[in-house]
Amino acid sequence: LNAAPGRVPRQRVRFLPAPAPGGGGAVELVAARVPVLADHPLVRGPPFRKLKIGAGHRLDVKASGVFVLGIGHGNKLLTELYNCHLTKVYTVGGLFGKATDDFSDTGNLVEKTTFDHITREKLERILAVIQGTNQKALLLYSNIDMKTQEAYELAVKGLIRPMGKSPPIITAVRCLQFALPEFQLEIHCLHETQQYLRKMVHEIGLELKSSAVCTQVRRIRDGVFTVDDALPRTQWNLQSIQEAIWNCQLKVETELEKTLG
Amino acid sequence: AMAGVARRLLCRGLGVAAGPPSTRQLREAEEAAPVFQYAGKAAKRKDRVFVWGFSFSGALGVPSFVRPDAGWKKPRRIQPTPYRLETEEKISSAACGYGFTLLASKTRDITKVWGMGLNKDSQLGFQRSRRDQTKGYEYVLEPSPIPLPLEKPQQTRVLQVSCGRAHSLVLTDSEGVFTMGNNSYGQCGRKVVEDEIYSGSHVIHQLKEFDSRVVQVVCGQDHSLFRTKKGSVYACGWGADGQTGLGHYNITSVPTKLHGDIAGVNIIQVSSCGDCCLAVSDEGDVFGWGNSEYLQLASVTETTQVNVPRHLPFKIGKIKEAACGGTGNVVLTEEGNVFVWGYGILGKGPNLAETAVPEMIPPSLFGWSDFSPDVRVAHVRCGLSQFAALTNRGELFVWGKNLRGCLGTGRMEDQYFPWRVTVPGEVVDVACGVDHMVSMVRSFT
Repeated sequence: LNAAPGRVPRQRVRFLPAPAPGGGGAVELVAARVPVLADHPLVRGPPFRKLKIGAGHRLDVKASGVFVLGIGHGNKLLTELYNCHLTKVYTVGGLFGKATDDFSDTGNLVEKTTFDHITREKLERILAVIQGTNQKALLLYSNIDMKTQEAYELAVKGLIRPMGKSPPIITAVRCLQFALPEFQLEIHCLHETQQYLRKMVHEIGLELKSSAVCTQVRRIRDGVFTVDDALPRTQWNLQSIQEAIWNCQLKVETELEKTLG
Repeated sequence: AMAGVARRLLCRGLGVAAGPPSTRQLREAEEAAPVFQYAGKAAKRKDRVFVWGFSFSGALGVPSFVRPDAGWKKPRRIQPTPYRLETEEKISSAACGYGFTLLASKTRDITKVWGMGLNKDSQLGFQRSRRDQTKGYEYVLEPSPIPLPLEKPQQTRVLQVSCGRAHSLVLTDSEGVFTMGNNSYGQCGRKVVEDEIYSGSHVIHQLKEFDSRVVQVVCGQDHSLFRTKKGSVYACGWGADGQTGLGHYNITSVPTKLHGDIAGVNIIQVSSCGDCCLAVSDEGDVFGWGNSEYLQLASVTETTQVNVPRHLPFKIGKIKEAACGGTGNVVLTEEGNVFVWGYGILGKGPNLAETAVPEMIPPSLFGWSDFSPDVRVAHVRCGLSQFAALTNRGELFVWGKNLRGCLGTGRMEDQYFPWRVTVPGEVVDVACGVDHMVSMVRSFT
């Protein structure tokens, strides 16, 4: 960053003595543009010595996926994005037949159960009821008076969501893959933690009269940022970062305007 | 030298030193762990009954709500969320009247129908009191068997039950329709006896004379409708609002066939709750008659009472099912769209209080979205001032006036747009009454 051509040094007008066009030793004042010495790189030093980097929504050690960072002035946009309360999308992988103390497959085994009776249909029914109860929670925590016409309009469009603090809410769940004993879900949620998602996998196992552990949690979307915008480890260099920021600027602005007005 | 000897002695005694278990040890321990089985081989989905609403009339069938079994417990006047009701048999049909409920099962056993709630007009038959063998109970607090005078009690099956304000109808597969309860307007299909005392009465009337087998019975507030296999509709009872549809405003005490716009039309469904009636034909047309004070039939006529069935020319598509409430009506089209009209809380926010022309409720309110595009409404039901819709996913949505907690949402406020009711299971059917509801639910696994 520091090697890139820096800001053009400021110029100022100074009246400098210069020999007069006539002759002799008379000195005249002539206006000339001269660079300000205070802006000289050798005087100022490198323009960037520290960078302020802020992180978006938390991501566990055991989870992976999209992680949003803000640099410098972008940190203010981070707070605004947080206040938008946009949904995040995760792919959660699970395994039937085991129950561990921390709900993931690396914890201490608590119990093993049978799982041959589980079918995709039963799983989808459980997912439907999870969606139903969370739908109610969505409407309840959004703090809108249900008796108004605008509450009805927002509910029709599906735009009601809690704009303040609330417990984790799941807006949509879908089963992507089902191959006993493994299964994969796509979960859209708000205000959640990865441990909550693992606990949910465990509870789905209990509901199906068996047990389940979570093998993988991967965030594929955080508000407006998807996996396509994200930079993998190999692309953590200045060029790609600058390009990525440039591409996302427009998206972020439109989203902020739409939600916060 | 001493330390070395001590260590060797310890080593010989303990064997392998105990440290943190290695991965291989963990895996072996896991494989050796016992496997528990929670779901048996014959694990089937169970059928359950859930009730909610006003409980002091006994209509919910839970005696501990009215008379608590422990001294410190308080009686529960309202059950705001679904509560499971234990029944002996699988209940196939339920109906809610004004403060009473009927449950029916398709079993071949002798006891086929149970009733609970108000019994001041013997709408639950004669419930012999244990204290005084000559008198009957006026309030029945738990589901009690209703003895029906069947000729072949171990062969006949009860198909459907229906409840009105103070009378009930029981439909059997081979022995016609049984009616009991108040008959002051002839709604039980028998001649009105002056000064008849209905409380503690043993009278259960049997109706058999129809042009073909009766396949559906519906009770309005004080009138009864019968739909036969051939597609014709019979009515009896109070007619001051024209709800009997027979062309006059008097009471009828014998079921009489309706004509008007439904003459010759094959009717596949009839519905009524208050004083207005709706019928759906096999071609998707809807016909209405009865009270029109709340604009229910205002699309065809300005009069407030219509005593002959009239075709309602709505251009909303082929209609599959209709439900008639006290002041508002709802229909379900073949595409799965829900249309409401009438007066009151119709389900489109507080601004829509009355309309004569059907308005569609957006499917996104019933759980439809880009994420789940195949969700659609499968059935619609009506209470006196409430509406209920069942989706093909087994979810129950309710809206309307929340009279004494009858919506089951857990809140006591009125609901102006469809709201999901949390029921632990897939809702198969729901019956709506004035201040309580009963639902038949299948468990998930």
